Formats: sequence, C-alpha cells, structure tokens
Amino acid sequence: MSARAVARLGGVLFGALVFVAALAIWEAWARSAESFFLPPASEVALRAWDVWPSAGFLSAVGASLKRLAAGYAIGAITAVSVGLAMGSSPRVRRMLGPTTEFLRALPVIAVVPIAIVLVGAGDAMRIGVIAFGVFFPVLIATVDGVRAVPLEIRDSAALFHVRGVERSVRVYLPAALPTIFAGLRTSLSIGLVLVVISEIIGEGDGLGVYIRSQQTLFNVPEMYAAILFLGLLGYALNRLFLVVERRALTWHYGAVGDPVR
Amino acid sequence: MVLDDVTFDVTDGELLAIVGPSGCGKTTLLRILCGLLPPSEGTVLLEGRPIVRPPREVALVFQDYSRSLFPWLDVLRNVMFPLGRLGLTRAEQAARGEAALSEVGLNGVGRAYPWQLSGGMQQRVAIARALVARPEVIFLDEPFASVDALTRADLQDVLLGVYAHVGDRRVSIVHVTHDVDEAVYLADRVLVLTPSPGKVAASIEVGLARPRTQAATRSSAAFLAVRNAIHDAIARQQAQRGEVR
Repeated sequence: MSARAVARLGGVLFGALVFVAALAIWEAWARSAESFFLPPASEVALRAWDVWPSAGFLSAVGASLKRLAAGYAIGAITAVSVGLAMGSSPRVRRMLGPTTEFLRALPVIAVVPIAIVLVGAGDAMRIGVIAFGVFFPVLIATVDGVRAVPLEIRDSAALFHVRGVERSVRVYLPAALPTIFAGLRTSLSIGLVLVVISEIIGEGDGLGVYIRSQQTLFNVPEMYAAILFLGLLGYALNRLFLVVERRALTWHYGAVGDPVR
Repeated sequence: MVLDDVTFDVTDGELLAIVGPSGCGKTTLLRILCGLLPPSEGTVLLEGRPIVRPPREVALVFQDYSRSLFPWLDVLRNVMFPLGRLGLTRAEQAARGEAALSEVGLNGVGRAYPWQLSGGMQQRVAIARALVARPEVIFLDEPFASVDALTRADLQDVLLGVYAHVGDRRVSIVHVTHDVDEAVYLADRVLVLTPSPGKVAASIEVGLARPRTQAATRSSAAFLAVRNAIHDAIARQQAQRGEVR
C-alpha cells in the first residue's frame, strides 16, 4: 500500500476509534448513573435494532426526506437564481440588499409562527420553512462566488458578446460553482435541522413527530434511537453530498489541487 | 488621471508594439481600445466608426492565462467559445477550433483541461481562442510576461507565425509589452508611452525584414539600431521629466 493510502487508512481508523471511545464513555456513564432518562448505549442499540427497520419509522423517515428534498430544491434554486442576478449587477444588489440582509438576520425558528399563521401547520409550512432556511447561505455563497469571478473572465464574456442571462448561466454559474457548493453544503445541514424542528411543532408525520411522540410516551430508548438515526442520516447525507460535489467539480479540484477533507 | 493625450493610428495589417513602464496605463489603454472601458475623453475609431462596446472584429489575449481561460471547459471548448454567436454547427465550430489550435502548434490537446497544460501551452490556447472568430484586430496585453524566458522566445515565434499566416486577411496586431527587445523583434512600428499619465513619447518604425528569427534578427545591426533608438526615446523623456537614472 502506498504511504498516502496508509496515512488515510490510519486517519479513518483513528476517527472510528474516537467514535467508539465516545460510545464507550456513554455506556459507562449511563450504567453508573442508572437514570431512566439516560439509557446505556447498548440498550439504545438493541431498541434501534427493532425500531429502525419498522414500517412506521421508515415511513416517517421517508416523509421527512421528501420534505427536505422539496424545501432544499426550492430554496437552493431560488437562491442561485437571485444570487446570480445580485452578483452580476450592482444595481440589483443595491435594490435587494437591504431586504435580504434583514430577512437573513431573522432566526428561522422565529419565522415558524409566521409560517403557521400564513399557511397553517401542515406540509406547506414545513417546506416553506426549510426553503427559507436553505435560501440564505446559498444566496450569499452565490453572490460571493459571482463577485469573485476574475476580471479577465468577465472581460472575456464581454468580448464574446455573452450578456445577461446567458452570461450568468454559461459563465458566472460555472465560475462560481465551487463557492456555491460550499453554501449548498451548509444549507443541507440547516435543512435537516429545520425538517425536524418544523415537525416537532405542528401535526403530521415524519422523524420530528416520531421523536416528539416517543418523548410524550416516555419511550426514552426509542427516542434516543430515533435521534441517533438522525445523526447518522445527517452524516450520510453529507457524505453523499461530497460525492456529488466531487463529480460536479472535478475540473476545480484539478485546477486548485485536492482539498483536505 | 491614468492616460493623457494618447493619439495614434493602426494601419491595416500592421503589427504595432506599445512599450511603456509598469503603471503607465498600458492595460487601461488596451481595455479602452477593446471597448471594455469607456474613455473619459476621446474616441476609439474602428474603420472610421466610433466604438461604444466591444466590437465583433476585435480579440484580446490577457497576460494571465490562468485567469482568462475558462477552467470548467476543456481546451477545445475554450477555443470554440467565441464561435457561439456565429451560427455555426457544432461540427463547424469544432473544426474551426482544431484549426486554430493547429495554427499555434497545439494538436491533440483539445480534450485536456487548461490547468493540465504548461504555461506556454495555456497562452497558446489563449491565442488560438483569440484567432478562432477571425478578428480584424488582435490585442495582446503583455501576453508573455508570465512565462519563463525560453517559453517567451517560443511564443514570440508562435505569434510571428500567426501574423504571417493571417497576413493575407490584413489582420492588425497591437502588442503591449514592457520588453523593448520583444517589441522590436515582433513589430513593424513601436509606440513608446511615458509613465503615468501615459502619453505617446515616440513612434519608431522598425523596418526589419520578415521572416525574423531569434538568432539572426536579434543580432543584426539594424535590430540594435532600432532598439537603441527606443531606449534613447525613453531616456529623453525621462530626462524631460527630471528623473535621475
């Protein structure tokens, strides 16, 4: 094995070791504390074995994922579109700047009651809240990405008579894509958090509702199992995102060298 | 004020070099000539018509190839990019792209990405991209300043080859450089600019026979004479400005 592969394997093993150590600490602490509200890792694992594959849980996860996908898509596509416009035109930036800065400063959770009042406590509210939370990091990343496009590239676009929307899509978007992806990645984590929060409030189905209902029933191990699953889901989504990013940005990694992940 | 009174003509099919120290406004001048920057005073005329935005007949090669070639496109797509507005089929565009790459001595690199190539090759790609839409005037902004001396000599000859090749189409080339020797080697005429605010200090005919070679031309007496004339012109206006050398 090459030296680099050995180093990487060592890194992965070390990371796994740290994770296992954390589990071990949890187990030891829970057993010694003997609290109803802190079940040992082993008990949670046993319960998870039953809960995770169950139909009710899986359909809850599916519902959450569907909402996340919808809210993420809406938020990201709108943000990239508005961001391209704002990034390429100082006038549009001046027009929309104050409003976006104000809305961005609002904690998303504070927006939930407004959303409930406007569209009720159902799916529209949830998807709307997710889209709202996803929107701003992607918007800022897009604007920054477009503004950082080198002058030579802008000049080239002007010399090739590529203007307006065509210029935004054919030149600014690919040029800014690495920065945009950074914003998309942040927004993914935010989106996942908002799915759960929007489900804990309000009615319907989904992981958040499941967690809340287990809490209400004092099924503490089940609740932990669901939360553990949430953590793993977040991790898996992030890794999946990295795979997609790698594919979309092979040219970028070639140009600037592989980043340390 | 970056540029003062800069007035000059470029004749059809001429290779004009513009020489000046850093900061004399050469890049600003080029951007104005290309239509990228409106001058605060004065006009740029292309065949008698004033330009207000980049004309179709004009192409520009930037100094920094790594920031002007599109990193998300492969070499051939980069070179083909300016052809989008000409209404050619993909096949025709690709053929023109390959032809332009051949002209600068790059064959078979079409599928590579710019950052996979050496600096000299990337600048050749930039030149090919400037050629592909068959412009009438090609501007070059210190195009060989970012490469090493050996590559620079190579690229100078590539440019001379291109100039000879497009000669029948009466293409003018305006080449900005801070290198006096390069200016004399390449050009029909050299314009000397003063430091900021830039003015035309002198316009010197080169008059050396073509084709030119690195070895023979640069060691000829005529070459040295023109070179010295330019250095004299620079020294004269430095003295006028009261500068100490």
